[in-house]
Amino acid sequence: MGKRDKSGKESGKRSKKRKHQSDSEDDYEDSRDSELGGTEVAAIATRQTDESTGDTDEYGAKDYRKIMELKSDHASRPLWVAPNGHIFLEAFSPVYKHAHDFLIAISEPVCRPEHIHEYKLTAYSLYAAVSVGLQTDDIIEYLKRLSKTTVPSGIEEFIKLCTVSYGKVKLVLKHNRYYVESSFPDVLQTLLKDSVIQDCRLRHSIEEGVEGVEDELIVGQLSGKSAFQVKKPPQAGQNGANSAPAPGEDGDKEKEESAVPEDIFDFYEKIDREEEEAEEQKILSFEVNPDKLENLQKRCIEMEYPLLAEYDFRNDTRNPDIPIDLKPNTILRPYQEKSLRKMFGNGRARSGVIVLPCGAGKTLVGVTAACTIRKRCIVLCTSAVSVEQWKSQFKLWANIDDSTICRFTADAKDKPIGCNVAISTYSMIAHTTKRSYESEKVMEWLQSQEWGLMLLDEVHTIPAKQFRRVLMVIQSHCKLGLTATLVREDDKIADLNFLIGPKLYEANWMELQNNNFIARVQCAEVWCPMTPEFYREYLAIQTKKRTLLYTMNPNKFRACQFLVRFHERRNDKVIVFSDNVFALKEYAKRMGKPFIYGPTSQGERMHVLQNFQHNPKVNTIFISKVGDTSFDLPEANVLIQVSSHGGSRRQEAQRLGRILRAKKGSVAEEYNAFFYTLVSQDTMEMTYSQKRQSFLINQGYSFKVITKLAGMDEEDLAFSNKKDQRELLQRVLAASDADADEEVVPGESKGSGQVTRKVGSMASMSGADDTIYMEYKTGPRRTHTHPLFKKFRT
Amino acid sequence: MVNVLKGVLVECDPAMKQFLLHLDEKNALGRKFVMQDLDDTHLFISADIVDLLQEKIDDLFDQLTFPVQQK
Repeated sequence: MGKRDKSGKESGKRSKKRKHQSDSEDDYEDSRDSELGGTEVAAIATRQTDESTGDTDEYGAKDYRKIMELKSDHASRPLWVAPNGHIFLEAFSPVYKHAHDFLIAISEPVCRPEHIHEYKLTAYSLYAAVSVGLQTDDIIEYLKRLSKTTVPSGIEEFIKLCTVSYGKVKLVLKHNRYYVESSFPDVLQTLLKDSVIQDCRLRHSIEEGVEGVEDELIVGQLSGKSAFQVKKPPQAGQNGANSAPAPGEDGDKEKEESAVPEDIFDFYEKIDREEEEAEEQKILSFEVNPDKLENLQKRCIEMEYPLLAEYDFRNDTRNPDIPIDLKPNTILRPYQEKSLRKMFGNGRARSGVIVLPCGAGKTLVGVTAACTIRKRCIVLCTSAVSVEQWKSQFKLWANIDDSTICRFTADAKDKPIGCNVAISTYSMIAHTTKRSYESEKVMEWLQSQEWGLMLLDEVHTIPAKQFRRVLMVIQSHCKLGLTATLVREDDKIADLNFLIGPKLYEANWMELQNNNFIARVQCAEVWCPMTPEFYREYLAIQTKKRTLLYTMNPNKFRACQFLVRFHERRNDKVIVFSDNVFALKEYAKRMGKPFIYGPTSQGERMHVLQNFQHNPKVNTIFISKVGDTSFDLPEANVLIQVSSHGGSRRQEAQRLGRILRAKKGSVAEEYNAFFYTLVSQDTMEMTYSQKRQSFLINQGYSFKVITKLAGMDEEDLAFSNKKDQRELLQRVLAASDADADEEVVPGESKGSGQVTRKVGSMASMSGADDTIYMEYKTGPRRTHTHPLFKKFRT
Repeated sequence: MVNVLKGVLVECDPAMKQFLLHLDEKNALGRKFVMQDLDDTHLFISADIVDLLQEKIDDLFDQLTFPVQQK
């Protein structure tokens, strides 16, 4: 190790030299980025806050002292608002709870570790804020009051710019036709002058012989609603649960109040109240061609009048109410309630996305939304397995007649025509090739319906091309997306904003963990040194087989075996994940454990899973990436990851989700679930693992690095002598390049149009085919490494 | 005839030793530099190559580190 010592200082010098260049390079990159984005999505979406202000010191820290003035009572205010749009919140402040709610509404969480949380103001986050009823002035005013310093003028302008034009135009679905509505005639005129929007407009006037009046608009009246009918059913269901914690909360508030400037509280309440105001308005509208809806929405965002989709379900008399109610014993957790309140804020239902961690009860949120709207509801999920889960959840939480809830999948025998709640998969609906006669009929029926609510499970899969079709094919008043991981390795996540709507709510993982709503997980990264023989081959080989060499590293195998034994002795249930099938088989056979991968038949899968759940002798199973999503295994509390899909952050989070379901009983221990990633030292895996962890770290998780597992030498583990290791190496080298590939699953992405019948697998059903891992932006960025981080070499 | 070579004793973990041997074998630094392969963790290399070698190892580590600052 002595070798690496001196290099630290040297590189420090080098980085200083590079310092001057790197700044200008960064600027160049930024501008190039926004150009690219501009052409692709919309100018407004990429609109950013001013990054350039403030002096930068040698460590890259910015000095804003000249721009922002510290208030005299700064100690009692929780926020720092930086001119580049980043907001820092003190999580230990007495007003944390209020500031937190407000920030969640107006900005995107960037990183939320224990003490200081970082948020970022973006154009989209501000749209979301307006769509849940916040007003421009209120946002600025409240931000000013919470901030320790004066709010930079750039930020104020940014907020105004992003929020003023928003919320003036609405997209409404009436009688199965789409209309664009607005109470501001001049805004509509501006929109109609645009050629793209004209193209999207549907004109009946020509057929009807009304002489080509280009700007003829439909005039209507929007009835002002009393704001107080807004107190809606989701609360009715949980009044019992609500009344109990409420007094406690109030008590807390009073205590806090003494420590905090009063204006913060006054204002908070004012904002709450204003959300519910409504007035009589004259509205104008024009009809839109449903096929061109996506174009229209995109164009409107470009023109800075994003369309707000709302559904006035109470006044919808055309669609019959369906008899569905939450069971009286259904209790919503506080965060679920909060998320739903965002959705039904003004008595109407807004479209949008709710982000909750895996295992935190996303399904219940969906069911409650359906019970609130009480119109026909269609649920779309990623696989046949989760279709079953949704159905049972509907029956569990809501009073609904069994015959009115139907599944529409390849093998379900339900007859969905005429049902109230339909549950299907994305691929089933998006299917473009020939169907059987029966399902053809069902599709026709589904398309002809005007659905009250469309629930989109695992909504991060939607931006994939084949799934977008779903949104065009099925007409719904309101769309609610649910997901745990709103990240993709490609940049399509922003598309959700016009495909579905803004992000309505995002839960804080750490808070849920502290309240025991999800399991407390100890995350650990175990470093396994490469054996000299394997590393030698690793360096010599440049092909894909390298992957195989680092996953099959004997030290990794030993670490895995050790952990499995250790946890089996504690009576834990262990899942081992390996993306690489060759390694999966090798590991599982060597340890004599059952394994599941793509080609495993449905019957065998169920058999293995049931044994895992109920048989005390089967405590460990090996699963390939087919188990990433929607395998609900509530018993499992230990997860060991042997190999993974490059640096995919989504996969890491989804896998963690497998063990997140709250565990009962073991309250005594600090952690009740364990998540291990085995990494071969000095290989590409180190890079991947750091990247993969970034999402969870931003959620507040910390990873413990274990360089040596205590007690491993005493165990009798496989591959303890050189001979065994060499044999393994021979086998690995004899394996073909194809073995090194991750599981290849036949699916949609192959793109041949003639195939009518597909052998589907879980991964392709869930859209995992499309999420190919790619690295963006590598290279020049590295020059900007912070001098402190250069020290890692010592 | 006695040859005098000025060298440096390097102690490192087994995997790192393999990396050094790999560089030596591939002539990545333009020439051979390992004089004696002593055991699993020790190598004897020529003294004048040390600086260059450190750069090379820096590069390796840069490759294996995910830049924290991205985004």
